[in-house]
Formats: sequence, C-alpha cells, structure tokens
Amino acid sequence: MKKAAAEKNRQRSLWMEAWRRLRKNKLAMTGLGFILLLVVLALFTIAVDIITHNSFYDNHVIKQNLRLRLQGPSKEHIFGLDEFGRDIFLRVIWAIRYSLFMGTVAIGISVVIGSILGAIAGFYGKIVDNVIMRIMDIFLAIPSMLLALAIVAAFGTSLTNLLLAIAISYVPTFARTVRASVLTVKDQEYIEAARALGASDVRIIGKYIIPNCLAPLIVQASLGVAGAILSIAGLSFLGLGIQPPTPEWGSMLSNARSYIRDGWHITVIPGLMIMLTILSLNVLGDGLRDALDPRLKN
Amino acid sequence: MSDKELLRIENLEIRYETDDGVVKALNDVSLYVNEGETLGLVGETGAGKTTLAKGILRLIQTPPGHIVGGKVFYDGKDVLSMTEQEMHQIRGNAISMVFQDPMTSLNPVMTVGEQIEEVIAVHNPDIGKEEIRARAIAMLGRVGISADRIDEYPHQFSGGMKQRVIIAIALACNPKLLLADEPTTALDVTIQAQVLEMIRKLKNEMNTAMILISHDLGVVAQTCDRVAIIYAGRIVETGNLYDIFKNPQHPYTVGLLDSIPSLTKETKRLNPIKGLMPDPTNLPSGCPFAPRCNYASSECSAAVPELEESGSGHFVRCIRKEGR
Amino acid sequence: MAKEELLRVENLKKYFATNSGMLHAVDDVSFTLAKGETLGVVGESGCGKSTLGRTILRLHEPTEGRIFFHGEDITTVDKKRMKELRRNMQIIFQDPFASLNPRMTVAQTIEESLLIQGLFSRRDKDGLRKRVHELMDLVGLSERLVNSYPHELDGGRRQRIGIARVLALNPEFIVCDEPVSALDVSIQAQILNLMQDLQDSFGFSYLFITHDLSVVKHLSDEIMVMYLGKMVEKCSTADLFRNPIHPYTQALLSAIPVPDPDFHAERIILEGEISSPIDPPEGCRFAARCRFATERCRKGDIPLHEAEPGHFVACVLDQNKNPGGIK
Repeated sequence: MKKAAAEKNRQRSLWMEAWRRLRKNKLAMTGLGFILLLVVLALFTIAVDIITHNSFYDNHVIKQNLRLRLQGPSKEHIFGLDEFGRDIFLRVIWAIRYSLFMGTVAIGISVVIGSILGAIAGFYGKIVDNVIMRIMDIFLAIPSMLLALAIVAAFGTSLTNLLLAIAISYVPTFARTVRASVLTVKDQEYIEAARALGASDVRIIGKYIIPNCLAPLIVQASLGVAGAILSIAGLSFLGLGIQPPTPEWGSMLSNARSYIRDGWHITVIPGLMIMLTILSLNVLGDGLRDALDPRLKN
Repeated sequence: MSDKELLRIENLEIRYETDDGVVKALNDVSLYVNEGETLGLVGETGAGKTTLAKGILRLIQTPPGHIVGGKVFYDGKDVLSMTEQEMHQIRGNAISMVFQDPMTSLNPVMTVGEQIEEVIAVHNPDIGKEEIRARAIAMLGRVGISADRIDEYPHQFSGGMKQRVIIAIALACNPKLLLADEPTTALDVTIQAQVLEMIRKLKNEMNTAMILISHDLGVVAQTCDRVAIIYAGRIVETGNLYDIFKNPQHPYTVGLLDSIPSLTKETKRLNPIKGLMPDPTNLPSGCPFAPRCNYASSECSAAVPELEESGSGHFVRCIRKEGR
Repeated sequence: MAKEELLRVENLKKYFATNSGMLHAVDDVSFTLAKGETLGVVGESGCGKSTLGRTILRLHEPTEGRIFFHGEDITTVDKKRMKELRRNMQIIFQDPFASLNPRMTVAQTIEESLLIQGLFSRRDKDGLRKRVHELMDLVGLSERLVNSYPHELDGGRRQRIGIARVLALNPEFIVCDEPVSALDVSIQAQILNLMQDLQDSFGFSYLFITHDLSVVKHLSDEIMVMYLGKMVEKCSTADLFRNPIHPYTQALLSAIPVPDPDFHAERIILEGEISSPIDPPEGCRFAARCRFATERCRKGDIPLHEAEPGHFVACVLDQNKNPGGIK
C-alpha cells in the first residue's frame, strides 16, 4: 500500500483532483482564505468567552460608554465606536458566530433533510417522487424570506426558531438539487453493475449514488450559506432575529441607520462585513462549481 | 483522379500545453493528397488523427493547442500564414470537414434546410434566396434525402440521415477536399454501408479529394486509394492500399492487421500488440513504438527512425530491414 | 451433442410502456446455452440485444416467458434466491467509462463483489487483499494500480477491472454486453484473448452481445441474429457465415467492411432504416426493407423453422434462392 501511494501523481481521487483545480483559482482561494479567517476569529472569540466566563464580553462588547459614542476609527479602536460607545471591531468579530455558524448550521440541517427527501424522490420515482416534489413546490411558491418571517412571527423570536425558519426555507432547493443528480446517476451503468452483483438498495444509495451526487450539493450548500447569512442579517435588521445588545451584523446595521450622518463607520463596517462574507462564499461556490465539474477535467 | 497535388503537409508539429505537461500530439508529420484522391488516415485513440484534421483547417483551440512548426500548403498556398479573412475562404469552401458524431454536429434549433442554405449563402454572397434554396434542395437530393424533408429539424432525422445532412452541408460549396473524421463510426453496419456508398459516389461525381480518418481498417480498405498509419503523433507507414494491406512493413501496421479477427480465415487466437499507447506527455525516446515492438533493439530507442522509402511510394519509419 | 444444458430461455418477451405505445424490445426469443459454450447475439442498435442480456439476468423484469438456469425457473424466484443466483450469473458492460463507480478505487471495486456476495468478511483484510491481487493478476492488471481510480486508467485497463469484478464471483454464466466495442483494435484483441483464456480455464458460458460480426465469429460456437426484438436466424457460427439464409443476415454480412483491398463482397445495400420497435406491425419486421418481401411476409406470424439441421430461420422465402455467404 505504502509503495503504491508513493507512485508519482498516481492514485488521486476525484476529490483530490477537484482540490488541485480549486487551488489554482486565485479568486476562490481568496474567498476561502477570508472565510477561514472569519472561522479562526470566531473560534477565538468563543474561546475568550469561555476562559473569561463572559466577563470580557460583558465589559467590552456590550457595555455602553455613552461619553465616547460615535467616535471615529483610532489607534485604540481601529473601526471606531458605535452609537453607544462600544468598540465596533470587537462587536463585528463577536458577531461572526451568529452569521457564519448559524448560517452553516441552518444550511446543514436543510442539506440533510433536503438530501434525504431528494434522494428518496429521485431513487424511487413515480408516486413517491410526485408527493415529495409537489410538497417542495408548495414551499418554493412562498418567498423564502416571507416563510422565515412567518415562522419567526408565529413561534416567537428565538435563536432556535430563527435557525429552523431558515433551515426549512432552504429544504426545497437542496431536495431539487439532489433529486436532479440522483436521476442522472441512477441510470449510470455502474449502478446496474452493482445491482447485477446483488447489492441492496441501501448499499446502492449509500455507496454509489450519494458519493456521486455530492459535487453539485457542495456547490449549492456554499451558495446556500451565503443566502442564509443574508437571511439572518435581514431578519435581525427587521428586529426579528438576534436581539440587541447581542452583536449581530444585521441588527448593528439596522441600529446604526439613524446615525448614518453622524459617523460613517458604524454603518459601513457591518455592511462591509456582510458584503465581504457573501462575496467570499459566492466566489468560493463558483470556484467549487468549476473545480468539481468533470466536464472541465483536463 | 489526377496526379496534381492538392494538399501538402510538411513537418507539422502540434503541441497541447496541459496541467500534466506538454502533449506532443503531432510530430514531424508530412503528407500529401492529390486531386480527387482518398487518403485513409489510420490510428488509435490519441494518435493525433483529429488534431491533424483540425490543424489543416487551423481549428486547433489555442490555448492549450499550438502549431509549433511545419507548413500546410493548399493548392500551393501556405495555409498557416493566411489571414483570418483568407482562412474563411478556405474553410467550408475549399476544404470542409465532417465530424464523427452526427448527434451533436447539427444545430438543433435550425431546420436542416436553413443549415445547408447558411453555408451556401456565406460563401456565395451574390446569389439570391431562391437560388440558394434550390441549391440546398439539390444537395439534399444528392445525399439521398427527399426535398420535402428540407424544413424538418435535426431531431426528426435518424443517425444515418443526420450524417447524410452533415455531408450535404460539407459538400454544399463543392469543396476540393473533404476531411472526414470517423464519419461512420457512430452508425450501424448496414447504415455505414449506405453512407460510405454515398460518399464514394458523390466524391467521384464532384471529383473531391478526401482524407478519411478512421480506426477501422475495413472501412479504409474498402474506400481509400492510399493509406497513412499514424502512431503517437507520427506517421509510421504510408503507401498505397496494396502496400499497406498486402505488404505491411512496420511492426505496428502488422500488429494492427493481426489484431482484427478475420471473417475469411479461421483463427483460434488473436495476436495482439502487447502493452498500451505511450503517455503523450512522456513519449519514449527514439521510436515511439519500441516499447511494444517484438523486434525492438537498443538502436530503436536511440533516435527516431527516418521515414524511408521501401518501394515506390511506400514509406516506412523503421530501422528493421529484414523481411522487406 | 449431449452437452450439459446451463441456460434455457423460453418465449422471452420484454415490452416497455412508452408515451407513444408499447415498445417491443425483446419479442418471443427462445434458445438454450450449454455449459462452456458461447452464444453470440448480433444485431444493430435498437434490435433488443442488450435488453435481452439484461432481462435474462433479471435486471429488467421479463414481461412474459421463462428463464431456466440449471433447470430452475428464475423468473419466479424471490429476491433472496435471486441474490444467490447472481453469484453464478454475471454481466460485463460495454462502456468501461460508465460501468465503474468513479469514486471507488480498483481494489474497492473488486472487493465490492466479494463483500456483497459475502464471500469474504470485511474484517478479513488480509484475505481480501490477497484475493484482490490474485484477481488483478488473472486479468493482467499490475499490482501497483490497486489504489488507482478509474479516471486515471485507459479503457482497456478499465475493462479489465470490469472483468475482474465479475471473475471474483467465479460465475458459470456471463452476459458480455459489447465488452470490446469501446476499445481500440489492439486493446480489443488483448481483451478478447483474455476472455478466451478465462473461458478455457474456468469453463464460463458466454452470451456474447455485439454488433461486430468479426468479433462474434471469432468467439462464438453459435450465433443468433436479432432484428427489432425478434430472433431471425440462429445456427452454428460456421453455418451462418457459409450459408446465411435470412435476407437481413445476408445484408448484414455483406455490409461488413473487410480489411482486404482484394475482397469485394457483392454488397447488398439495404434501403431505408430500421423501423420503430413501438407497436410494430404484424408479419416479418424486416419486410419493409427486404428485397424479396411479398404479401405473405406482411401477414400473420412468421415462425422459426429448421431450414437445415440446427439452422433456424424466421423467413417464409424459398431457401434455395440464396446469394449470400462469405467465402
């Protein structure tokens, strides 16, 4: 085994090939770099909160200091202070977890549910397919933001409800993506070969269909996270998401709105963060699409 | 057929620059085609057959492809130094090409009539609409499709019929040279027989020369006047039909002929060429066939053998002399 | 000849319901296959030859008819028994690019056969590895390729993986669905030799499906010619090439381009193209393209009859008017 692995350029799985192609895409790698930076910063803030038992958070992130409100960027406060005199840099990085992690978790939930529904619909076809996909169509007929709004409005504003609202609104997208790729993969000869060997349906779905459907799902998911972050920010902006004083980019933007003439930085910084994150995820998603598309191979 | 030379290729070299290295697709390829003659170009997947055809028409996509050396003369004019404008007059008008896959070579949203008319109109800007349509109908008739199908779309045609339409488009401007890249490979045998028969007939009527690219030695034996065998981007043997099929000299040609199960003789076991095609990014030094050749010696990998004349018009790229 | 019968197919039919009507892919086909023999199935695209192979393995459920394997009617057995039977009935596919899971390595693909059929337990790592290497060696794949992925290999090697996967189960009967038509001639000859060698050493019976008559002549003991779902002629290989009786067989044989410039067959160029297999008209399906077709050909059933001993033809014509044959 070891000897074989040492062979030059041999034994590269399709995933490795894709990674090799992605690495050459500078834009996508920049996006990935930015996202990784956010992840590191977010993990750092969580660590700080755990070590200091939230005292740093209480004293620096949410504690108001009205004397210094709306102060512009300076050496001590590189992004300046907000309308309550809080450090915008700290608030912005403390807010990452809500956008990035909640977005990811929400999309994670909808990927799982959507994939299972899509795979069942695609694999079994006929009535099962029809029932599942028509239900998905009903969901798709309602604008996702409106659906999320309705869920949050009906069940109250809490983190869990926000998460569920976004997760549910993305399920149809993933169900459709997975169903479409299952339909293509299902007719491949290697599926028939597995059947001829006597493989069970579960084995065929797990070992043959799912691994070959992952590529479009990954692309869709990375774009989905961008959408989810926007939804979280949007709902918070409307006051239905994360509640002040907890820092969140959308609500920071919303609160800063009234002070836009008094200090540019308090609106621009959270806005810029949202924009850069979405942009990074989108270029990464596009890069992944190119890297994973077998038609561009070689 | 006459002895007037129509196309001459001299030392053509084409490379593709890929992530995995430089693919030497064509190396020092020289060929000629006379007026009205059919040259069969035989080789396996990756031998460079299609690259050669595209190279002649300068249809190589750059990047990754580059024509790095050599000359192509059409009717005495240097094709590789022509302007795009002049090239336009060559493509489709003087030289046209038929591709392998009839399913994807036609535009699905245009009727077959429109597609034939388009080529005629592009190359004959001064003739009127009715005249163009009349010519298109005549062309369809020549390939054996009745005029009332002219307003149908490609999906209404079967594979064999589509290939006929493609040939009609290729021949619409009365080209002097037709590059046919595996024109019947995707077709069934009985349909292949129909299409080949039709190509043969039209070629004679219109005195068109043809380069027939194929991996099928049977098709070549039944259609061509001369044959060139290409291996790993090099011509290894060229001669007339009898030279190649009755007196093959290069071990690769011999191996190819031995690989086909015979319909006329009883053979218990085939005698295939051992090994695989060399990696085009990493060709062996010397004769590219040496690693698979039963007669190879150290001399073979020292330098690429020259193409030497072994009989009148019969050239072989092999240093082995015995048996000739 | 009293060879042991392995497979018997009786009046097998496979119809597919389509939007425009019933597609008669396989229509009333019967034959037997003896142990260690090869039956070639030839015909052009759309004649139902691939569907026939898949229906025999119950990859498609037959519409009508019975399939006996070692005397057991496999059309009625349950899932569990069918899985057991699959150990003895296997298939090699045409397209070595599409028939291998792109996400599995060579070793994983071959192991898959052994694991699915429970010939090895997943924990028996050493046993599995030894068997995989043994199989790779048998089909001529070098050991260093164990961890390669299909996309890194050429068509010939991929087809060897497809063969190793089947060989792993040591089946008695293998459907070969155009196993060499996607390969280059020099590689094709290597694979054909390999398949012959394996047949000699393991006594496989092949149902060899192909459109290439020279390949089928080389390998088969008997040949069956199909046209639009119907078997039109069946006889020993020698008889078929010496004395083809059905007008379609004659046209088919004459259309083969022979790699010999001196060979000029009296070419019978067929008019028109294969007609639609959806709700075909009664009578001979070839009548529309047949040079000799009469009123009789378009009426009623054209039964298969024995024109010569062991030579079956579905044609009503006078068999003495026969111009065909490759001499």
